[in-house]
Amino acid sequence: MDILFISKYILIIALIIMMLASLRASAYKSTSMGLLGSSIIVNAFAVALIIGGKLYNLQFYGDISLALIFFGFVGTIAFAVTVGGEDK
Amino acid sequence: MIEYIQSALLLIAAFLIIVSAVGLISLSGNTKNAVYGRIHIVGLFDIACIIALIGLEQYLLAGVYFILAPFTAHAIANAYWKKEDRENNPDLMVVEQDVDENHPFLHPKEKMQALESENSEKLKVDERFSVTTIEIDEDE
Repeated sequence: MDILFISKYILIIALIIMMLASLRASAYKSTSMGLLGSSIIVNAFAVALIIGGKLYNLQFYGDISLALIFFGFVGTIAFAVTVGGEDK
Repeated sequence: MIEYIQSALLLIAAFLIIVSAVGLISLSGNTKNAVYGRIHIVGLFDIACIIALIGLEQYLLAGVYFILAPFTAHAIANAYWKKEDRENNPDLMVVEQDVDENHPFLHPKEKMQALESENSEKLKVDERFSVTTIEIDEDE
């Protein structure tokens, strides 16, 4: 079996483990931890989509993951600004 | 050959991602400054994802991710510091300064406040700080 094929699947498993870990971490009492956990999940899902696109030869998965990374960043910044409020 | 390099990059990324997942879980919530520690761990995950994206030949995405990830981490840490951390721990706003009493120019804040207070003996003795009041009669 191709080593690149195996390593892609290992990376997907690692990303799933990271998603579960970030789900656990986002249950921490702070609001910022929820924000951090959701940011991790979005980025991990974007990388997993790239791998899926490579595995099944679907080119538009790259566009979806680019949108996920960019708009996930925008949403995280917007929510962080809302949580932080104005300077005292 | 390129295939081996790609698979090595992906395996390194998978290893780093698992290490960061273990760190994220094992860092106890009761630890002091746990949120900042977790944000730091997520930095490792971000770099692992960038390595994986380079291994998957997605250089534009890797560059975008490399630029945007620090902004995200800073925004979350800044929001936590400005609201939750400062409100839950008011001691953070108290700055302790160790000032040498024999220093010729720097003096402790409490010492200066005691000197400037009305009950200070030195101020009463010192004539330079005496206050005169003039009474003005409007009829004159």
